[in-house]
Amino acid sequence: MERVLTDFVKALRNANVRVSPAETLDAMEVIDRVGYGNKKLLKRTLSIVLPKTPEEKDKFSSCFDDFFTDEIKTLKVIDLPSQDQEGSESNSDLANTLLEGSQAEIMLAIADAGEKSEIREIKYFTQRSVFTRRILEQMGVGKLEDEIMLMGQQNDGDVPSDLEQQLRSHLTGLRERVSDFVQQQFLLHGDVSGEQLREQVFKSMNMAQIDRSYLHEVHSLVRRMAKKLANMHSRRRKNFRRGKLDIRKTLRDNWVNQGILFNLKWSYKKLDRPKILVICDVSGSVGAYARFMLMFLFSLTEVVSKIRAFVFSSNLGEVTQDFKDAQLEPAIEKALQKHGGGSTDYGQALSDFISICLDDIDKKTTVVILGDARNNFGPEKTHLMKLIFERAKQVYWLNPEGKYRWNTGDSVMTNYSAYCTKVFQCGSIDQLERVIATLLRTAI
Amino acid sequence: MSEGPEKAIKEITKGFSKHGYICSKQIATAVYLASQLEKPILIEGPPGVGKTELANTAALHFEKEIIRLQCYEGLDESKALYEWRYGKQLLYTQILKEQMQEVLEGAKGLKESLNRLMDFEDIFFSEDFLESRPLLQALTNEDGAVLLIDEVDKADEEFEALLLEILSEFQISIPELGVRKATVKPLVMLTSNNSREIGDALKRRCLHLYIPFPEAKLERQIIQARVPEIKKSLQKQLVDFVQGIRELDLKKHPAISETIDWAKTLILLNSEELDAELATNTLNVLLKHQQDIDVVAKEVPRLISDSMGSPSGKSLN
Repeated sequence: MERVLTDFVKALRNANVRVSPAETLDAMEVIDRVGYGNKKLLKRTLSIVLPKTPEEKDKFSSCFDDFFTDEIKTLKVIDLPSQDQEGSESNSDLANTLLEGSQAEIMLAIADAGEKSEIREIKYFTQRSVFTRRILEQMGVGKLEDEIMLMGQQNDGDVPSDLEQQLRSHLTGLRERVSDFVQQQFLLHGDVSGEQLREQVFKSMNMAQIDRSYLHEVHSLVRRMAKKLANMHSRRRKNFRRGKLDIRKTLRDNWVNQGILFNLKWSYKKLDRPKILVICDVSGSVGAYARFMLMFLFSLTEVVSKIRAFVFSSNLGEVTQDFKDAQLEPAIEKALQKHGGGSTDYGQALSDFISICLDDIDKKTTVVILGDARNNFGPEKTHLMKLIFERAKQVYWLNPEGKYRWNTGDSVMTNYSAYCTKVFQCGSIDQLERVIATLLRTAI
Repeated sequence: MSEGPEKAIKEITKGFSKHGYICSKQIATAVYLASQLEKPILIEGPPGVGKTELANTAALHFEKEIIRLQCYEGLDESKALYEWRYGKQLLYTQILKEQMQEVLEGAKGLKESLNRLMDFEDIFFSEDFLESRPLLQALTNEDGAVLLIDEVDKADEEFEALLLEILSEFQISIPELGVRKATVKPLVMLTSNNSREIGDALKRRCLHLYIPFPEAKLERQIIQARVPEIKKSLQKQLVDFVQGIRELDLKKHPAISETIDWAKTLILLNSEELDAELATNTLNVLLKHQQDIDVVAKEVPRLISDSMGSPSGKSLN
């Protein structure tokens, strides 16, 4: 029975529910008490032991239902009387099982053959037919087919014998059942590795090349990433300055000891959460990237509280509130509609930015600019960049274009990068994640 | 095999309802598992769904003392585990000084005095000077206890690490005295409002119970238990109304505690039936943000007619 549980845990892990070995042991202990008999009770108890967040509980619930249907099915069919025929003259084991065995025995035989064909290794959608064939062979279908053929040859008449007909229909039934079995196993064991693979591809792909129809999937990916990053960095940290005595606190704390300094108190300072201003270029030249940039910006505003988001193509506008109030897609559409698509004017955008929130830029602020620095040969107004750079704690520029394209054509990356703490190339989600991680780490 | 647990779970449900806490099967199962496996439960859920109340009721049900530790930023071991009574220790050293002369009287040479000093019993670090704080108290309580660690997400990360030893081994290491092990393992409940993610190490050691907003049926039972003087028709209207509000997009949804408050308010106002005016005037009991009140105020007529829908339909039949 332990096998059932470990299989289930594996299926859970596939569904992105984190289950540690210790939790598996807990689950075993629970099952010892509760048993497999009552499915509802089992589900309730396991849902307390295994998944540890509300999201995981949802996944657990659907996974549990998928996993344990099979058992119920077999239990039901056992009750049916097996329709076996007396006096069959068939030789092969498979034929006997098909003719005489109960439905449950057949299921068991399939599961057994599946085990031998390593069905658990199934990863991709396309492997299903291969595995179906392999399981059928494992069960000895080849031999059965030969037998049926032989029967057909022996039978001189035009009408096939009863036994032959019966075997044929059983065989078709078996094929269907095996194919169902493989499908189910694929859902439990394979689907997710496929998903992980796809996610990996998404992560390393250039953002401009990801088709818009995948927007939804990429969003869940980006959102997970943003949440992880925000979690890591949202805590207010205390930094102990070792070696510096906090005299006031020490005296106060040691009054009880008649002024004898038993325990010393050291001074520390609290580190504040970062304040981040993000400016995002959504003009025509970065059109392909803009959607993903905005998506990331959106996810970040969801999880980091002290962030203000601005977008521009020529004129700059703030979208923080729009992002906070709306859903992803309408928010992005709105931002693009209001500000996107036009020709780029970094000079104008910078002066707008300064007029809106220069007062907000202080020693704790990090300014992040997402854009390709293609200025249509317009005025660059680098002195404004300098002003921002001098007031802010740090200025980062994330450029979605490859480094080899910087400073070609109308790109004026070098002129701006003089006033940036650091400049990153940031074309794929992987790169983006790395950059934001550095940013949050140093923004404090 | 599944007979036993199911019966036990039903008993818990029943016992809890005696103390006025109506719990879902999920909650009862969690309490059952926690008492059987002797593992702590981490309870999460929106504020006001009865997380803290669950621990209080469990204490009543199992007839054990409740020991509560409220977490906050800056909570440390001297407030959670134990502290030395410095003042008494200081006095002790002074007494010791006087005693010392008697002990050392007549000793010749440094070596002999040192030997005598070594033989002398020292109680500077001993139970006598140990001030137990909630966590140590819960472990040493001989009748067992229900330990409630409230809003563990408010405490610092370091505090979580402090909890690990207690939660998995039910013991505390005091460097000067050695390990203190629990005689009777307490039932531990931790609550969290998810203001930050709890560490995996802590989660791994706990059972996890998520209490969502209750379904209409359960909420009606809860109101019935908590505000028994309310009329059936009003109670149904009220719960349907609140359930309706929870479907709106709000900053903070009203929880059970707010529903109970509102029911009490309506009783106080001697109202027999919920109408639009009454609802609008008392919304501030239910909602805690002006923005939310504005949103809901617009929806009141619709919500009222929705909640009126079923009972009036019945009376027509």
